[in-house]
Amino acid sequence: MHILLFKILSPFLGLLFQAPGQGRMALVWERAQNPDLSKFLIIGALLFIIGVAGVLTRRNIIVIFMSIELILNAANLNFLAMSRYLQETGSVNAVAGQIFAVFVIVVAAAEAAIGLGIVIALYRNKETIWVDEIDILKW
Amino acid sequence: MILSGWEAVFFWVFSIAAIFAALLTVMARNTIHSALFLISSLISVAALFIILHAEFLAGVQILVYVGGVMVLFLFVIMLVNVGDEERGQEEIFNRSRQVTTSVIFCGLLVAGLIYALNVGYDGIKQRDVATIGETGAARRAQDQTLATSATGASKITTGTEWVGNGLYRFGALPFEIASVLLLVAIIGSVMLARTLKQEAAVDDVAPDVLREEAIKDSELLEVKVTE
Amino acid sequence: MYRYIWLVPLLPLAGAAINGLLGRKFRFSERLIGGIAVGSIALAFLISLASVYSYAFGSNAIWPNVYVTSQDGASYSWIPGGAVRFTTGGHARSVASVQEKAREQFTKMSPEQAQRQTVPVLSAINEQERASLLDVEWSYQLDALSSIFMLVVTGVGLCIFVFATGYMHGEAGFYRFFAYMGLFMFSMLVLVMGSNFLMMFVGWEGVGLCSYLLIGYYFDRQEAANASRKAFITNRVGDFGFALAIFGVIATFGTTQYTDVFAQAANFPLEPLGQWGILSWIALGLFIGACGKSAQLPLHVWLPDAMAGPTPVSALIHAATMVTAGLYMLTRTNVIFQHSQTMMTVVAVVGAATALFAATIGITQNDIKKVLAYSTVSQLGFMFMACGVGAFAIGIFHVMTHAFFKALMFLGAGSVIHGMHHEQDMRRMGGLRKYMPYTYLTFLAGWLAICGIIPFSGFWSKDEILWSAASTRYVPVGWIVWIVGTIAATCTAFYMTRLMALTFWGKERFLDNHNEHSDGHEVHDKDHDTPAHHAHIPHESPASMWVPLAVLAVLATIGGFVGISPAFTGGHHVGGRMNIVNFLDPIIWNPTTRLFGTHEVVDSFGKPLELVEKHATASVLTTEPAHAEPPPPYGHEGFNLAHAIDSFLHNHTLTEWVFIIISLLVAGFGMFLGWLFYVKNPRLPDIWAARLRPLYLASYNKYWVDEFFGWAVTRRTMDAARAVFSFDSKVVDGAVNGSAAITRFTSRVTGLTDRYFVDGMVNAIAGFIVRLMSPLLRAAQTGFTQNYALVMVLGLVLAVILFFGADITKAFRAVFAVGF
Repeated sequence: MHILLFKILSPFLGLLFQAPGQGRMALVWERAQNPDLSKFLIIGALLFIIGVAGVLTRRNIIVIFMSIELILNAANLNFLAMSRYLQETGSVNAVAGQIFAVFVIVVAAAEAAIGLGIVIALYRNKETIWVDEIDILKW
Repeated sequence: MILSGWEAVFFWVFSIAAIFAALLTVMARNTIHSALFLISSLISVAALFIILHAEFLAGVQILVYVGGVMVLFLFVIMLVNVGDEERGQEEIFNRSRQVTTSVIFCGLLVAGLIYALNVGYDGIKQRDVATIGETGAARRAQDQTLATSATGASKITTGTEWVGNGLYRFGALPFEIASVLLLVAIIGSVMLARTLKQEAAVDDVAPDVLREEAIKDSELLEVKVTE
Repeated sequence: MYRYIWLVPLLPLAGAAINGLLGRKFRFSERLIGGIAVGSIALAFLISLASVYSYAFGSNAIWPNVYVTSQDGASYSWIPGGAVRFTTGGHARSVASVQEKAREQFTKMSPEQAQRQTVPVLSAINEQERASLLDVEWSYQLDALSSIFMLVVTGVGLCIFVFATGYMHGEAGFYRFFAYMGLFMFSMLVLVMGSNFLMMFVGWEGVGLCSYLLIGYYFDRQEAANASRKAFITNRVGDFGFALAIFGVIATFGTTQYTDVFAQAANFPLEPLGQWGILSWIALGLFIGACGKSAQLPLHVWLPDAMAGPTPVSALIHAATMVTAGLYMLTRTNVIFQHSQTMMTVVAVVGAATALFAATIGITQNDIKKVLAYSTVSQLGFMFMACGVGAFAIGIFHVMTHAFFKALMFLGAGSVIHGMHHEQDMRRMGGLRKYMPYTYLTFLAGWLAICGIIPFSGFWSKDEILWSAASTRYVPVGWIVWIVGTIAATCTAFYMTRLMALTFWGKERFLDNHNEHSDGHEVHDKDHDTPAHHAHIPHESPASMWVPLAVLAVLATIGGFVGISPAFTGGHHVGGRMNIVNFLDPIIWNPTTRLFGTHEVVDSFGKPLELVEKHATASVLTTEPAHAEPPPPYGHEGFNLAHAIDSFLHNHTLTEWVFIIISLLVAGFGMFLGWLFYVKNPRLPDIWAARLRPLYLASYNKYWVDEFFGWAVTRRTMDAARAVFSFDSKVVDGAVNGSAAITRFTSRVTGLTDRYFVDGMVNAIAGFIVRLMSPLLRAAQTGFTQNYALVMVLGLVLAVILFFGADITKAFRAVFAVGF
């Protein structure tokens, strides 16, 4: 058991106890100073995951919707990061990313409108915004 | 597209802000707080867009997403009763089983994604290192030809022009379809949000439903009779 | 003129078609229908008269040659050659052997020879091939036999048609009657004028059908319906034999045309008594057919019952024409019969038996038509006797004279019945000669004819028959036949005199017990239906009825002079071809000389005529032995009565006169007895009936033949039918129902199995599984959307793990830098 814990923690300990200018930490610092495409994608991924977590864990339906907007936003970030990268590499389809992002926003707006309309109708019928109280499909 | 200098700083600032705001969106108790945190997350992402040289998209994000969609969200939050939540009488998170499972798997996903992205980006970088060098020189040369802005501090980029070109020429059909989609959304949202009285007034209610509802609310029938 | 004989059958058919198809639809008047019918028959008669005259007596007369209408193209290829191929039978075998030989020859020849021989050998093969294919045409044949029958049928038919227009007056089905009668005339003419066996068969069946239709004319009466059915079925029994004979003819000779068949048959060997060959078989089949049609023992049962039809029908069909079809056929095929001595004996014996049998029944019958019916059967027996002993021409002669006097008597009976307002029982008649003079006078002529009183026609023919029976060299039992025939002649004279006495002479009995009507009389018209009406005084019939009677009476009186016995004329049949025996000579085959026609015929001027086959030694058929006595035809002969008496008297003509005197004496004796019993001493019949009670009962009940047939045939057939029906309903239906029961049982078992076993298993196993799993699976349906979203994410994670499994393990190892 101890051995396992040590094994898991060792990279992080290494990070802490390394001398500057060498090894992994230096690499990390150097990479942090010059963020490139992968950082953008990671940020996008994190936003996405937070959004998913929000969808899965919150009880308030409006907050769930907002989490969905987060997800869409993260996707947009992804698109644009790749679009920029493709501009760098000279691909002729680089503008497609931005165009697609426009459409994502359009769809997100439409979906938000409809979804909130449904929320209103649901609220009128069930007098509640807590999703775990809306379990009509339960067996 | 390796950033450096102040761009890198701003990148880190805005990305941390976006993530922080997103976390708080998900964890805030007050729904209004949640919405406001989302707005700040969106604006941070818009800043990130500008760093990515997608100025048009940044503008669209702020105008449409923040200015339209989030305002709508705020209106709806007002419409629904969130008092109990704020007063702490209601739980904001689901049952622990759900939450635990979600967090575990999201954590797994995160680890996997980050690792995959790192490895993948190494591969891409290796593949494209040559072309980046070539196109970099060409782009820098092209950047010299750009017009200068009014203040003289920067150049007027052609990004928006480029997007407009693409959108209205190659993406013209999706564009039109998107407008139809918005039309449908408008009509749909209006229809979905009608009250029973409004629906009865235009005779859009099934008779048995109307009868049932009329037992609770006798005013409905009057509306029907006048039709 | 004889080229137009094809018109003769066509005219009655046309008349029948018009009457039958249009008569009711357009509501022809009786006069119109009668006019069409009588007119068509009259025209047919005139044409046949002209044809026969030009055939036999005209300037271009071709008698004794045969004329077939196909010679002038007036024929129809009914079954063309190539439609039928022979595979079995004597003819096929002979053809096959010829073909074999030809082919052998052909294959054995060297190429050069073959080259030269090809055409003749091949054509020989082809001809034999062709000959093996049956070719039947529809054409009419005019020769001596058919010309006589044509004249008799159309002439006597004409008289009867005229009579019928008066007799059937007022009937609702007037048009139907004449339509059927016309159809009958057509069938009969086809029968006698046909040039081949198949046409004769068509006519045969046609007259049988018309007999059925006409006997059952009063179809609303059960008795008439039964009688018509009986007639048809009994006929059919005979037709079966006839059909078998025709099959034999086709197989043996390969053709059905008379000319071809008889030419071939003449070359076949004779089959004396004891030998039985193919020709005997054919003759047997033909004879069975003749028995059925001409009412010989034992198929005579239909003729008396057939009296249920209208009287003109009885006159035409059952006296003059249809029943003589058997005689026609017998004479037509005399070649075949004369080849088989056994069959000739059978014919003679059956004929004699029938004659006596029917005559004894006729003595005790009370219905006037029944008496005449049995008289017909008896006279037909006489005709068969004649043919059986080899005197075919005499048989035909008797046909002709019988047609005259029997038709006359039937029509006279019809007149009597009409005058007596449908009274048919002779016990209620009597003394009618005062009331119906014309009928009486004409009937008198018929009575004298049938009794055989010289010089009436019946005498000539009957006497010749008896003489032929006594002097025959064809069958060994000629003397027995003569004795039986003589007794039958006596009985004939007796019962005919009885009929005359009861009907025309003596006390008038029609005024007693008039309210009772005897059974079995036909309904004439509507007024006479009520049984209780006042007594009618009999009245004479209208002219349309007694004029034909007069015509027939004249014929009955003088008709016999065409066949005057050679005893009166010095040993020859005089008159050239006006004499019926001479006239028919070319178609009669002689087994001794193996030629057709042996008579050296002289014309009316005494000059000899050309014959088809002429023999140097003219040996006369039956009347006079040649100077050198020819050998008996079949090699041996039995006791010959005529020869016995001849050897005693040593004078042939005297021998013949002996027989003539005997026949006249017996006829006179019969008449005397009749007078005695029914005029002089009317109590005698009852006394003798009481004394000979068993014989009287047998005769009165017709020897119980009908009852015997009913028991032996009808009831046995119905028993068989019942047995078959019970077999069918018990065994067959039982099997079917049994299989149905089995199916029901199996289905019940299957149902129970399904319900308890299979469903039990399903309920147990599947139910168990469902009960086990459903709570588990139900738990997934929480109704909680976020659960579903979580599951989606889980799915995503799983997919990622699966997709990147290898990479993940690699990364894991790299990150933790451990060796596990």
